[in-house]
Amino acid sequence: MVTDRIEKIRQNYVNEKPRISYERAMIWTESYKRTEGKPAAIRSAQAFYDCCSRLGVHIFEGELIVGAIGEFRKCGILTPEFSWQWVDREMDTFADRPQDPYIMTDEQCDFVRKNIFPYWKGKSLEEAFLARLPEETKHIGVDTGIIDSDSKWRQAVGEVTPDYQDVLFKKGFGGIIREAEEHIAGLDITRPDDEEKKEFYDSIILTSKGIIKYADRYADEAERLAAEEKDPVRAEELMTIAANCRRVPENPPETFYEALQFLWFVQVGGILSENPLSLNPGRFDQYMDPYYEADIEADRITADFAQELVDALWLKYSEWVWTISANTADYFAGYNQFQNLTVGGKKRDGSDGTNPVTYMALKATEEVKTHQPGLSVRVQADCPPEFLSAVTHLVAQGTGFPAIHSDSVGYQMLLNAGYEPEDARDWNNCGCVVPHNRKTGEWTAAVNMNFGSALEYALNQGVSLMTGEKMGLGEKPASEFESFDQVKEAFFRQFDYLCRQSAILTVEAQRVHRDQVPRPFLSSCIENCMISGKDLSRGGAKYNIGPVITGIGLAVAANSLEAIKKLVFEDKVCDMETLTKALRADWEGYEDLRKKAQECPKYGNDDDSVDSIALEISNHFYKEIHQYKDIFGSPFLTAFMGISNYIPMGRVLGATPDGRKNGEPSSEGVSPYVGTDTSTPLAAMKSSAKVNQEIHSGGTLLNLRINPDMVQTKRGQANLGAMIQTLFSLGAFHVQFNCIKSETLRAAQAHPENYKDLLVRVAGYSTQFVNLSKSMQDAIIARTEHAI
Amino acid sequence: MGGYIMQLQNMSVNDGSGIRTDIFMAGCPLRCAWCANPEGQTQDNPMVHYAEADEIVREIDRNAVFYRFSGGGVTFTGGEATAQPAFLDELSEMLYDRGYDLAVETCGIFRWERVAHILTRMSTIFMDFKHPDSGEHRRLTGAGNELVLENMARAADLDTELVVRIPCVAGANASDETLARSFELIKQAAPGASLELLPYHRYGEDKYRQLGRKIPPDSFRIPTEEQLERWRAMARSAGLKVVSYK
Repeated sequence: MVTDRIEKIRQNYVNEKPRISYERAMIWTESYKRTEGKPAAIRSAQAFYDCCSRLGVHIFEGELIVGAIGEFRKCGILTPEFSWQWVDREMDTFADRPQDPYIMTDEQCDFVRKNIFPYWKGKSLEEAFLARLPEETKHIGVDTGIIDSDSKWRQAVGEVTPDYQDVLFKKGFGGIIREAEEHIAGLDITRPDDEEKKEFYDSIILTSKGIIKYADRYADEAERLAAEEKDPVRAEELMTIAANCRRVPENPPETFYEALQFLWFVQVGGILSENPLSLNPGRFDQYMDPYYEADIEADRITADFAQELVDALWLKYSEWVWTISANTADYFAGYNQFQNLTVGGKKRDGSDGTNPVTYMALKATEEVKTHQPGLSVRVQADCPPEFLSAVTHLVAQGTGFPAIHSDSVGYQMLLNAGYEPEDARDWNNCGCVVPHNRKTGEWTAAVNMNFGSALEYALNQGVSLMTGEKMGLGEKPASEFESFDQVKEAFFRQFDYLCRQSAILTVEAQRVHRDQVPRPFLSSCIENCMISGKDLSRGGAKYNIGPVITGIGLAVAANSLEAIKKLVFEDKVCDMETLTKALRADWEGYEDLRKKAQECPKYGNDDDSVDSIALEISNHFYKEIHQYKDIFGSPFLTAFMGISNYIPMGRVLGATPDGRKNGEPSSEGVSPYVGTDTSTPLAAMKSSAKVNQEIHSGGTLLNLRINPDMVQTKRGQANLGAMIQTLFSLGAFHVQFNCIKSETLRAAQAHPENYKDLLVRVAGYSTQFVNLSKSMQDAIIARTEHAI
Repeated sequence: MGGYIMQLQNMSVNDGSGIRTDIFMAGCPLRCAWCANPEGQTQDNPMVHYAEADEIVREIDRNAVFYRFSGGGVTFTGGEATAQPAFLDELSEMLYDRGYDLAVETCGIFRWERVAHILTRMSTIFMDFKHPDSGEHRRLTGAGNELVLENMARAADLDTELVVRIPCVAGANASDETLARSFELIKQAAPGASLELLPYHRYGEDKYRQLGRKIPPDSFRIPTEEQLERWRAMARSAGLKVVSYK
């Protein structure tokens, strides 16, 4: 049971529409006007400092953890330095768009058009990126849904895990300032390298002073409110808040409460600095437990109050809204910020890491049902049984949480990406399902690549079925393919072309980021940046891991190739010409053929005939992508993760040989195509585990629906636990369950007002069902519900 | 060799421990008026097919990894698992030799000598008991209950867990009085056995229609959860250990 206070905040979170604040953008812009000509790092740091000193201070009703990014409680901000054009185009209709609407008033729109955007014309990251991009790459890679990297040039990178263990809780920002000063004292600025380092350390000092000042201003405000407060209980709370804000984040925290407040200040700093997606709290139970146990030991806190504080933090994570374009919102639906928080799993030394805070995190998600943080768990073969039952118990609540990961496969993925064993063992999740680590700079969601498009161009001479435009490489007419191998070769030619264009897109974006948008605040949270004197965007972290290209539509591509193999070359039901005609006609007039196509074996049923094609495509994907290197010389990585990208990537895809029709959703991660895994979840699990998941270090995703009846009892939950362990023993990395009946989802669609807090699994994350567009809701309802 | 089956049902979780594959074997000596699997009563209907034992074992092997982690295995059911004793013998031996946990669900109507050695391969025997009055038993199922009680007593002497199952059909065999007598007879025949009460359901109706047969009468009703709870309490006070595989 949550406390009344938490319930009140929760109700507000569930019922309020998010609003956009332009305050941060205004201060940022005014600052940039004053710093023209200065180095990029200093300009960014100064703008951050100015925000920290000028932003309005807001302590909302009942808050225990404080710090606002704008004047609204449920609030998003603008970052025109990355892109203002899409905001300019879209903000008048923010309130009306189907996916992730925001409230922005006409007065606000007028203000930003007059006072903010004009300055950024010609200066934003988006404009620089588009100006540099080769025409050919622009043709296939900008707002096409074929290869998509929009979130990497209309937004900041994000995708970072602040290091609480070795940096933040150890030093505080006061300690970081002192460290930067010591480094500066040892530099010789006649050397160009050192000159650049000095700029870096200067920028770190500025941002650190900024976040300390921000906290001080909250201390002042809390004291002021305490003096006015009539309720003595609240007055005392406010005095505690003030004391917390005086201590952290300048100094290392001394209590559980201070540590939680510290966490939120870091989140605020990250948001103000770049409005990042995937600013991950990381291994929460590992770095919070020492504070909790010490407080309990010293009788400074009760377990109930500690739980209330964790609940309060969960709500803070959820009240921030990631402001994104309608296009990006299609890919990342549900106001999701991807603040991934990981619990469970092995410690750095290999022993079990579960502790009381592990269970508090699971309980908080069960109680407050917020879509943030993205709660991930690491499960190892010999994890404590009570941990696995707590995990399956939470699954049974139907929130879609937690994301369940194999401890050992995550470890293997990091080893394969070049980590030392201790760091690899210390992995946390980033975003949705990316194994990550706090000593890392990485673009974990660089590009989404549409596998279905590669097949479409192979069968259609490089031309898009939906637009008639030439998008891929030239190819001979499909009727001239004489064997299945020839079809496959043509598919891989187009596929490799998309890989190559994805690499070009990413490297260009990396260069613009390096030159234009340094990340001093977030760099100060990463240990090795402070040692190397280099910003994250310049490769300052200990591990600079290659950008991740995410494959979308593995099941569609495998099922389609299987259908061609069977219908055309094995059973000779039709020839290539007839099949391609049927696709061009969107199967209209070819209903019998479509039925036969649908009856061909489908990935997700433990059928080697088609699963082997999925394996071949995924192995090829790894080899092809891995040969490209990014600006730091790191090889690109592959992933089959989710997000909601299979919807827009299906929308641009014509009919496919598996029986899919024009524009229908594609498939996500290593999941089967919706509705075609008709055997059992066991078979779906086995198919997905045939893919060599551990080589795809960018993460793999399997979403399944299970009938809630199956996990009503403890015994049912134990069986689910055994299924999960089985799946992981086969080499799978992730599984997540939607455990809500279709009837419930349909009722929520019809009467959203009664289901405002209904969380569902989208793909790699959960969000409120009623906050999804109709097409997303339909896609989720369509996922196979496995009953027993 | 092989035999007649209706289907293999992977991911079964209610007929023994862990995650199991249920093998539905066709043919049955009884004709229970409430039967949920009418296609299992005979071997010559469109919902039954012949399968080689090898073929079945291969399919079981594909799911083996799930049994290992969950403590599951294979359950022979039907129809009536013992209605094809040679097939059951062969199949259960092959699976036993591969180390799978085995269970059988039976109506109790079989020739003991023919089946006894097969039962020793099982870690759990589920045996149905349908009515305490032999005349009523015959009226509702087509045979008296004497052989069932005899086989129950013999099975209780095996070194194997025995779970007696009563399909509770309100309007047929599930009233306080009838059940009280059933509990008594079970207690006498198999004092160490556990008891599981299974509520009647009507999920088999579509199959009756597909087979062109009349569906069970409306006078057969699904008991309420309260009734079931009361009966479980009665069974406990009669000295039976009540279990649930839900």
